Amino acid sequence: MIRYYIKLGVLSIRKNPVLSALMVAAIAVGISACMTILNINYVMSGNPIPHRSDVLFHVQLDSWDPNQSAGDGGLSEPPNQVTYLDGTALLKARKARRQVLSYQSSRVVQPADRDLRPFEVNARSTTADFFPMFDVPFLYGRGWDQAADDSQEQVVVLGKEVNERLFGGEDSVGRTLVMNGEVFRIVGVLDDWYLVPRFYDVTTQAFNEVEELYFPFSVSVANEVNGSGNTNCWKPWGDTGWNAFLNSECVWMQMWVELHGQEEKQDYMAFLDAYVESQKAVGRFPRPLNNRLNNVMEWMADQEVVADDVQVLLGLAILFLIVCLLNTIGLLLAKIMRRSGDISLRRALGASRNAIFSQYIIEAGVIGLCGGILGIGFTWLGLRGIEVLYRQYEFVENLVRMDWVMVLAAVALAVVAALGAALYPTWRACRIHPAAQLKTL
Amino acid sequence: MEIGPIWRALMRNKTAYVLIALQIAVTMAIMVNAVAIIEERNRIMARPSGVDEPNVFHIESISFAPGFDQAASVAEDLEAIRALPGVVDAIASNTVPLRNGGWSSGVATEPGEDVGPTGVAIYFTDDHGIATFGLDLIAGENFAATDIGWYGLSSERWPPLAILSREAATTLYPDVPLREIVGKTVYLNNTDAVRIIGIVERLQAAWKSWDGVERSMLVPAYLEGRATRYVVRTEPGYRDELMPQVEQKLAEMNDGRIVRDMLTMDATRERAYHEDAAMIKLLVFIVSLLTAITALGIVGLASFSVARRTRQIGTRRALGASRPAILRYFMLENFMVSSLGILAGGILAVAMNIWMVQTFELTPIAWYIIPVAMVVLWLVGQAAVYGPARRASMVPPAVATRSV
Amino acid sequence: MLCMHDISKVYRTDSVETHALREFSLTVEEGEFVSVTGPSGSGKTTFLNIAGLLEEFSNGKYELDGKDVSRLNDRERSRVRNEKIGFIFQSFNLIPELDIYDNVDVPLRYRGMKAAERKQRIERVIEMVGLASRLHHLPSQLSGGQQQRVAIARALAGDPRFLLADEPTGNLDSAMAGSVMELLTEINNAGTTIIMVTHENTLARKASRNISVRDGRVNSSQAIRIAAATA
Repeated sequence: MIRYYIKLGVLSIRKNPVLSALMVAAIAVGISACMTILNINYVMSGNPIPHRSDVLFHVQLDSWDPNQSAGDGGLSEPPNQVTYLDGTALLKARKARRQVLSYQSSRVVQPADRDLRPFEVNARSTTADFFPMFDVPFLYGRGWDQAADDSQEQVVVLGKEVNERLFGGEDSVGRTLVMNGEVFRIVGVLDDWYLVPRFYDVTTQAFNEVEELYFPFSVSVANEVNGSGNTNCWKPWGDTGWNAFLNSECVWMQMWVELHGQEEKQDYMAFLDAYVESQKAVGRFPRPLNNRLNNVMEWMADQEVVADDVQVLLGLAILFLIVCLLNTIGLLLAKIMRRSGDISLRRALGASRNAIFSQYIIEAGVIGLCGGILGIGFTWLGLRGIEVLYRQYEFVENLVRMDWVMVLAAVALAVVAALGAALYPTWRACRIHPAAQLKTL
Repeated sequence: MEIGPIWRALMRNKTAYVLIALQIAVTMAIMVNAVAIIEERNRIMARPSGVDEPNVFHIESISFAPGFDQAASVAEDLEAIRALPGVVDAIASNTVPLRNGGWSSGVATEPGEDVGPTGVAIYFTDDHGIATFGLDLIAGENFAATDIGWYGLSSERWPPLAILSREAATTLYPDVPLREIVGKTVYLNNTDAVRIIGIVERLQAAWKSWDGVERSMLVPAYLEGRATRYVVRTEPGYRDELMPQVEQKLAEMNDGRIVRDMLTMDATRERAYHEDAAMIKLLVFIVSLLTAITALGIVGLASFSVARRTRQIGTRRALGASRPAILRYFMLENFMVSSLGILAGGILAVAMNIWMVQTFELTPIAWYIIPVAMVVLWLVGQAAVYGPARRASMVPPAVATRSV
Repeated sequence: MLCMHDISKVYRTDSVETHALREFSLTVEEGEFVSVTGPSGSGKTTFLNIAGLLEEFSNGKYELDGKDVSRLNDRERSRVRNEKIGFIFQSFNLIPELDIYDNVDVPLRYRGMKAAERKQRIERVIEMVGLASRLHHLPSQLSGGQQQRVAIARALAGDPRFLLADEPTGNLDSAMAGSVMELLTEINNAGTTIIMVTHENTLARKASRNISVRDGRVNSSQAIRIAAATA
């Protein structure tokens, strides 16, 4: 029987090709508008490190001015980075399974080959735990260890592209690199590493790519390397020079710790509170106690990494889909009402209400399926459109990837939408009386 | 003239019309709110930066060689750039407006920790700053060459003189005439006294979305550090020709640094507002597509309604309705349905806007967008129904006598 | 009052020419009740459409109420239909979404009459066909006979010069048909000219004259005395 209904559906679609095309197109356009934006939203709010996002915690200490807000959040929000003083103190305490303190900087690499001109790279000054904690993929070698941090060893980990540029992609572990006049030994080369969003530092552009080069935090501080991200201060330094800056209340680095389970988290929180209390005793931390530990997804939500524009667009896209569905309901209804003669004839010839219902709901399903498949095509076009529109942002290509989850979701949404839209018209069809339409027309 | 009977006929068969009205309502709500966002973005994008944008470009020099003599390099570089024919003036600064990276600091009218400071954007410059950016000095005077020093981690205090933008001056001293603000002393870092010697009409900060974007301060010093951003203003028409020359000159003059990120102000503006421009394009596209879908919906339903009522149309024609009368019937019917949708849409649009204003801190819609959207949707409805209505008017009256 | 002279009507499709009327001539005087009969395909419906200005014709001349209506444009033809002709259709052709009142109102609206006058006329004709109690019923709530009475009321509301009835009882059972015929006869007696197309001879005999159409021409025209006698 199903085959018969599908046949009737296809016949009916072919009988009104323009109208059916209009319905399919309306569904496809609505679905694709929705899916395009939803896809971007989905990627933006995706989990960058799913297997570890529950054990990685971002640390916030409220060291800020009691009279000014640290960001957009008002007086009750702690700053979203930490000071050098606090970061290094927590690092030294080693109260978590692992801890990492890092900041972004800008370095100039001077190739040994004099034909190549020096070039600037986006670098990250970080501590040894960065690589195991964030599950960083290596092509050659590995990260450095804590001993290297402690002894300020001039070691470096290269991104795949920099290695490509300097060494033609060869295994460069053990070779050296000159950076801002200093010689560094290469200990590792990264493999492709896509992190969307780049959760460990969202204070600069959260959807930018990961840094191209990594070197020890201790070396960076010793060489007086400024951060290239945001540096926010609220209190005068009291003295001049690099040390005065390091000892200031300026926040400019990101602190992450690894904690397993609620108990470890509570213990660490207690440790943070005790630390702040001890600092209050020496005149720092004028605000009330307000420390935070957020895991990766909590931190992404807290920092609102999904842009407002995307959310506005998502709202509009959902309304758009509603309009397309209203359109489909209207057209299906009109179609069914126009065929009421046919329906009452079928009823008179013995078709049950169920039979009529099945026939029309299957027809709607066929339309929905066509709309969904066409919608995937339109969504792909939509994403390409977004890519062109936002081409200036290097990260946009990360946001316009479509995975099979989204493809299936598009088809499913289209079919569900079409079936939903068909319910009322089909119900009306079922209510057409067997005799009513035969008498008059 | 026939509103009564058309209305009663509508009410007998309302579902399809209710659907169209709803569709128009949601379309209207989206349209109004999208236009409101577009308007706001356009307004933001139209704000002038204060800089002579068509004739200004900038380029960054980053030193890497150990023992790099920054003071000597800046002096040489500036002398070389200013000597190029076609260059009006040049400075070594830290940033330019709209670049989305820079320095801001709190400024207070009294010394001490308890005074709530006002954030202003800091532009390090020398006595050529006003001429290079092309600013309009509306009170006081420019820095003198002798005022210029260096500022960095080793500095004991903040440079003692400043030129403010009008907005920065009036925020610090509301209700004080500009002429009297000149000569007043403000405080940075709680204790460092800085005398205001001049006020410029406008100089935007580097961050377009900052609420203090119009507040800025020119500081008479060169900034210590590896990075220096040279800002160059050229005679009209010389910019594109001079850019590669300046880049090459800087690269040749000193190999202890790299030069990078050379951009015109036009390109800087384009980059700064790229997202807004893209959003506008997206919204225009969505609204157009939506309007097209709604129009197609109207065409589809009206076609059906005409097909279903062919006999009735023939009867009306037989009873003396002229072609224009039939055309008018369907146009009027659509007008009434559209009006309902538009009315509901107006309410929906306002409700949605209130929600968006609360959630996304948008500005409320300008009142005139609603009537404009109404007229547009009425016209779209009438245009969409015209085809089917014309087909209806072509139904021959003899249809009435055709046997079933 | 109605005078057709040598009217021809040819339908053309891609390959075939069909002569629906050939040099058709007919005169109907004021106050007559003319029935038109003929086998199917004889041209009676074409005659009716042309007489009612629903269709144009190829050749000949048509005078209505002393005025040549052969070459009027669409707007003028609509006006003549509205003011001078009342239609009664086999399948009633009431507008399903409108109640009885609004159905009768339709031709008056197209005449642009004032609301008060329309109301008075509508109530008068509905009273006349005996449906005053059903003023706000929908057509679907009435029997076939009642629907046809509404259609007659609609035809009469505009005070036409003559009524054109197309198989007015074709969709009715005999009892209902009888009452509708009585109503038409009454209307004719009150002075309205009626032309009725039918294929039933018994009905045709209730008219004062019968025209028989065959192959697009008037085959015969004979006065019916019995009908005159009953009048």
